[in-house]
Amino acid sequence: MSDNYEYILKTEHVSKRFGTLEVLKDINLQVKKGEVICIIGPSGAGKSTFLRSLNQLEKITSGKIFIKDELFLHRENDHTVDRLLREKQQELLLEMGMVFQRFNLFPHKTVLQNVCEAPVIVRKENKDEVEKRARDLLEKVGLSEKADEYPSRLSGGQQQRVAIARALAMNPEIMLFDEPTSALDPELVGDVLQVMKELAESGMTMLCVTHEMGFAREVADRVLFMADGIIAEEGTPEEIFTNPQAERTKNFLNAILEA
Amino acid sequence: MKTGFFKQYSKQLIAAAVILVICIVLAILKPAKDELMSHTSPEMQKMIEADESSSRKRVTVTYNDLFIINYASLSTSGAKVMSEKYVGFVGKVYPADEGVMKVTGQMVNYTYRMLGCGENLMHGAKLTILLTTLTVIFGVVLGTILALAKISKKKWLSGLASAYIFFFRGTPLLIQLFVVYFTVPGVCGFAWRDIFSASDAEAVYKGAFTAALIAFGLNSGAYCAEIVRSAIQSIDKGQFEAAKALGMNYFQTMTRIIIPQSVRRMIPNVSNEFIMVLKDASLVFAISLMDITTISKNIMTSEGSYLVFIPALVIYLVITAFFGFIFDKIEKKFSVYE
Repeated sequence: MSDNYEYILKTEHVSKRFGTLEVLKDINLQVKKGEVICIIGPSGAGKSTFLRSLNQLEKITSGKIFIKDELFLHRENDHTVDRLLREKQQELLLEMGMVFQRFNLFPHKTVLQNVCEAPVIVRKENKDEVEKRARDLLEKVGLSEKADEYPSRLSGGQQQRVAIARALAMNPEIMLFDEPTSALDPELVGDVLQVMKELAESGMTMLCVTHEMGFAREVADRVLFMADGIIAEEGTPEEIFTNPQAERTKNFLNAILEA
Repeated sequence: MKTGFFKQYSKQLIAAAVILVICIVLAILKPAKDELMSHTSPEMQKMIEADESSSRKRVTVTYNDLFIINYASLSTSGAKVMSEKYVGFVGKVYPADEGVMKVTGQMVNYTYRMLGCGENLMHGAKLTILLTTLTVIFGVVLGTILALAKISKKKWLSGLASAYIFFFRGTPLLIQLFVVYFTVPGVCGFAWRDIFSASDAEAVYKGAFTAALIAFGLNSGAYCAEIVRSAIQSIDKGQFEAAKALGMNYFQTMTRIIIPQSVRRMIPNVSNEFIMVLKDASLVFAISLMDITTISKNIMTSEGSYLVFIPALVIYLVITAFFGFIFDKIEKKFSVYE
């Protein structure tokens, strides 16, 4: 795959309707390699839907999605106008790892098996090599001693760190985080954020939907404020948190900081 | 894992061990066949000796060994009708011509016949268990395919599966059995026994067994489809999404992620289905297969013994209890991760 591209991820006029409800309206975003972008905003703003439509968990109604400057998908009025070949699409999709709010670990597999599953089954990699890499990843997220446990024996924070390791095992270039700490007890949030921070520092391209303003402020290169299906404001953390321009951003931040 | 199993079932295992030891002791104490025979009257013994050098047997000897208890019945036909019955139990031989011992002797004889002892697989409890087990395996495999078809997004495929399920759940199993056994070969111009070699003395039974297995399997598939479908649909949607996000295709997602998780949720219902099939299997009396029910009915008709159904019920209960335990064990095994 060519590394000669301007944007690792780009969307043009992406919109999404559920029936008559317009969840995303004309979202335009360009992401450069290595950028860390945090998406904040009130619930129902379409943040998760946007993230999920990037790796095809949701089908967009219309708009274009580019991955590494290649037109990945172009849809208009719920019909696909243009797209890459399936195999190429699949290949590019594997460049995106996803971490879910509710972890979604495979409960019938041990931690190690969870991490090894996709590289072995999807990428047909050598089992021993994958296992070695998986153990390294588990060490990186601080869970090497839990390798043979089942997810149900782990705390939420540990499960989420396993989920991060599982996504990383596929060697993705982009990591999507869908409210990774929202389902966690407050005291468990820190460990997960720490792992994400280290990941960001290692140069991973990241898109995080999050309610952790401290994290966004500290780690993000760019913060998007979404409301009612549009990007209401975007800028550096400095701009958004200390000097928000849009009225809705101000209200949102005030409400959060007061709470 | 092993110690876990022993801990989990310690009570049942101890009970089973105690029963086994008692049975072995009883079996050791049981009088031998020769001893049972030696109690016959001198007159009968003379006739047996005479039979040995004659081609025409006058004495019919029945000997049933039920591990802990045995039973011998000798009867003559012809000029002088004689009948002697003996029950051997814990080192003693009891005459079984009247009273409690007569009933005991009958029960031993009926149980022996209904279990299919001394016969091949096409008889008695062996037939019932074999037919039920194969039917459920057939049913679960077919049911899984039907369930996947039914939840498919392809309309024609899910419609086809729905129609299949509607048909097989909406018509009597007995008629389905008749259709497979009589109508299908009638229309297609073959006989079920023809699929086995003509020299096979059991070809008729094997043919009927095949027909029964197909009919029951097709029927069970329809019920299992609903079991599998509800189990698959009870799996959290997040599991599908996680698999998709990791790049797994539909087949990989189903076989590696969804179905293994569904299995545990299916087991109680499959266990239930097994018990239903076990009892439905008695319908094979209609195509003259010699299962427990057919044998008990034959005994009732030929010997006029209305007590025969009691050991029949006990045999069914023992089979149900045994397989209930097996399914329970399988369910626990699949629950390790919870």
